[in-house]
Amino acid sequence: MIWLLMIATGLFTFATRFIMFSGLGRASLPSWLVDALNYVPIAVLTAIIVPAVLIDPASTTIAIVDNPRLYAALVAIAVALWTRQVVLTIVAGLGMLWLLQWLL
Amino acid sequence: MRSAKTEFWAGVVAEMPLMLGVIPFGLVFGVLGIASGLSPLETILLSSILFGGASQVVFAQLWGAGVPWMVVGGSVCVINLRHVLYSASLARYVRQLPLGWRLLLAYLLTDEAYAVTIQRLRTEPSGPNQHYFLLGSGLLLWAGWQITTIAGVLIGETIPDSWSLSFAIPLTFIAIVAPILKDRADLTAALTAGLLAMIGQPLPWKLWLILAAVGGILAGWLVQQHGKTKQGVA
Repeated sequence: MIWLLMIATGLFTFATRFIMFSGLGRASLPSWLVDALNYVPIAVLTAIIVPAVLIDPASTTIAIVDNPRLYAALVAIAVALWTRQVVLTIVAGLGMLWLLQWLL
Repeated sequence: MRSAKTEFWAGVVAEMPLMLGVIPFGLVFGVLGIASGLSPLETILLSSILFGGASQVVFAQLWGAGVPWMVVGGSVCVINLRHVLYSASLARYVRQLPLGWRLLLAYLLTDEAYAVTIQRLRTEPSGPNQHYFLLGSGLLLWAGWQITTIAGVLIGETIPDSWSLSFAIPLTFIAIVAPILKDRADLTAALTAGLLAMIGQPLPWKLWLILAAVGGILAGWLVQQHGKTKQGVA
């Protein structure tokens, strides 16, 4: 079953990449669709980020004040805005997380 | 005129700085795939069958959590819809190529390869071999992604949970999203998606992900359209 799903989603993903190369159908996308697709990365990635930061993996409840992942994420956001470097952002965020886990 | 070889290596070189972000992401995906309960073979082949980082993470996590296949598939498809944009953007540069080339270049069309290729096509003189640039950047990314996934799978079992390495995934996404939030519509898309992801947590089958993604896209789009109409009136 997992193989079927991997292949089906793989084919769909390939189709999203090939569709406008195919020469079939219209030569350009309608502008409303281009506008909407522009928001896919922001919406999808933020939807993954927020629960991963705010929900405690051990208790599966929302944690705010005593949540080292929240402070680590805030440091990561600052580093990302400042440096725009993926590696530095990961290093700063994980470093902060480890520091807080060690202190608390 | 630039030779095919020159274009190819220019693509490879242009892609190199982006590999700095891809390498840790691939490693972490390999680790996470195993931690989610996928087999080593499934984790490794996901990297060549889907070949899209965020969608692979979601596939592994949802499948590992026992979510029904239709929801896993739907989530992966929504995440990967953005490639239609890249495909549309590059279409006029590749339309005259033979089918084999178009199939290969489409397969290699990722966020990172697109980013450097569109830059090349827009800022440098066009030439008959310019598609080799995408081939070079795409192949470097592909090879790096496969190798780091395999490495992640191999080291995954030796890394203790207490390292919280899976937290590198949201950190990677923070590094991508934070710098691209430019205007009110972007912020609205992000805030709506984040809020819906939290509100939707009680929903079965991790449906919050699709809810938050679609809601965020819609919210950003609505704010943007609203801005456009106001500009039109003024």
